[in-house]
Amino acid sequence: MKLSNSFQTALIGLKTNKTRSFLTILGIVIGISSVILMMSLGDGAQGLILNQIMSMGPNNVYVEPGSFELEGADMTQQMMEGMEIKTLTLEDMEAIKKDPLVELVAPMVLSVSRVIYQNNDKKVTIFGTSPAYHEITESRTILGSNFTDFDIQSRAKVAVLGYKINNDLFQDENPIGKTIRIKDVNFKIIGVMEELGTQMFLNVDEYVYVPVTTVQRFLLGTSHIQSSAIKIVSQDKIDEAMESIRLILRERHNIYNPEGDLSKDDFKVVSGKESADMMNMVTSILTMLLSSVAAIALIVGGIGIMNIMLVSVVERTREIGLRKAVGARKKDILYQFLIEAIVLTGLGGILGIILGIIFSYLAAIVLSIALGTQWLFVVSLKSIILAFGVAAGIGIAFGIYPARKASELSPIDALRYE
Amino acid sequence: MLFEIENLQKIYGNDSVKTPALQGVSFNISSGEFVSIMGPSGSGKSTLMHIMCFLDKPTDGQCKFEEKSIDDFSDDELARIRNKKMGFVFQSYNLLSRTNVFDNVKLPLVYSGFSKEKENEMVEQALKSVGISHRAFHFPNQLSGGEQQKTAIARAIVNHPSVIFADEPTGNLDSKSGQQIMDIFQKLNDQGHTIILVTHERYTAEMAKRIISLKDGKIISDELVNSRHYAKDGLIK
Repeated sequence: MKLSNSFQTALIGLKTNKTRSFLTILGIVIGISSVILMMSLGDGAQGLILNQIMSMGPNNVYVEPGSFELEGADMTQQMMEGMEIKTLTLEDMEAIKKDPLVELVAPMVLSVSRVIYQNNDKKVTIFGTSPAYHEITESRTILGSNFTDFDIQSRAKVAVLGYKINNDLFQDENPIGKTIRIKDVNFKIIGVMEELGTQMFLNVDEYVYVPVTTVQRFLLGTSHIQSSAIKIVSQDKIDEAMESIRLILRERHNIYNPEGDLSKDDFKVVSGKESADMMNMVTSILTMLLSSVAAIALIVGGIGIMNIMLVSVVERTREIGLRKAVGARKKDILYQFLIEAIVLTGLGGILGIILGIIFSYLAAIVLSIALGTQWLFVVSLKSIILAFGVAAGIGIAFGIYPARKASELSPIDALRYE
Repeated sequence: MLFEIENLQKIYGNDSVKTPALQGVSFNISSGEFVSIMGPSGSGKSTLMHIMCFLDKPTDGQCKFEEKSIDDFSDDELARIRNKKMGFVFQSYNLLSRTNVFDNVKLPLVYSGFSKEKENEMVEQALKSVGISHRAFHFPNQLSGGEQQKTAIARAIVNHPSVIFADEPTGNLDSKSGQQIMDIFQKLNDQGHTIILVTHERYTAEMAKRIISLKDGKIISDELVNSRHYAKDGLIK
């Protein structure tokens, strides 16, 4: 029997049982479309992460307090104590700034406080940094101007408002020169930032920027910083620069660590790329987990197909007997039923892919709105090939048993079957 | 000799319970014959036919078709012989219900490997020789019993087999349709087809040229028909 004939026979078999065929492939459709959706969401999340991390600039590194490879309890403890870790100082940053590979250093201190202007009152993140931060992120003020290095030295009580905070507190009013109160301290507003969206998943439009020294002295009462963004002169010097920064900090912190064991340090230096890689790994694992759940739906769908094929074999016992009597070989019967199963799953696969793409597109729209950021709609060829391959594989895996059963029927018994 | 059958035995069942269906049957059939195998139900006539068309193996004895027995062939070769050299007509027609007459008749050709044009030509010829061309694109449930059986005969002869097996072909039909069917068989025989007809009706059996009567798995008579009935003359029954 020719292969085209097998296909024709299989298609006719399926067409005569339209409703049943459709219900049978529903499991496959759901399974495949969820796999595609999950993988699309995973890819979208990775794109978003990359986008967010790279929004800070590709040749940045970050210095954070705490050791690199803390595990389990240590890690948790460190996270719980978060703000308490006191290893990095502005003096450390001054030392780093002297390295020729370092172009800019922006120390960072965050503090959550209420901001009061007249009868407006809002809880916001106060972001203590230096003018270098806005150079690193290449962000500008749309009103007034940013604070200067002089403001840092003099611990000036000045503030630059994020775009959204300005709108919330001042609406149409010109905020420049106005005074707001943060933790009982009066700050003069000298500028408003342009709209920046989210950076590193933080909505920086809701920040109030204040000189780092001012935050340390008046809001937190500390002489330490929480982290620092450092711009390296060029992208290919990043590794070199990271090592150089480590050496500077080890020397300053009196850490004897000639073998460069990162767990001995009381700080960590990470690059934007490294954190992107790490986040990507996390999303990859998540995607894999979600896809496996979706894959279970596929297997259930496959069992559904096997079930229906078995019923179909019993139903068509006489047909099988007749075909064998008029010259069908075992092979021919085997192929007929196997192809029928594969065509079923194949159809399910195609439908599933189409639905999966539609769902992914809808999800991208919903997520873009919900997160207030551009969510990438990606359906990779990889996921389509994978989904289709799995569908065909399921067709073969779950079709072979019923098909074998059909092919091994004795023609005499089959013809006698009522 | 088309068929050489020697001391054929068939015993069904397992070691403890043995049910003999054939107990030493011997006869020959040469090409061009029209043989009725007659006997009451349980006499072993269906078993005999199944062995003759290589669907079943004898427990003992020989059944040779064109000098060769079932043991000389692989399963695939047996399928090929059934496909090319044998045609089958069943009591209950065994048509594919959701397939039209044309495609039902084409069924054996699907396993033969002819070109599409050749297939269609052979189907049309077969439909014409049983006189059912006008029904080619009807479905079995739109046909009368007689028309369904004609379709089945067309299917049996589509591949120009050397022998046609008919298992109670008129058993489900009214006498008029039965007569038409038998007429077709007689004509096919006149054209040179060997026909082996299994029946339990004496009158139908007497439309053949020779009758082999079975009882309890043994041949009780094997004789030529003296006064052969001709279906085209009408029914005397």
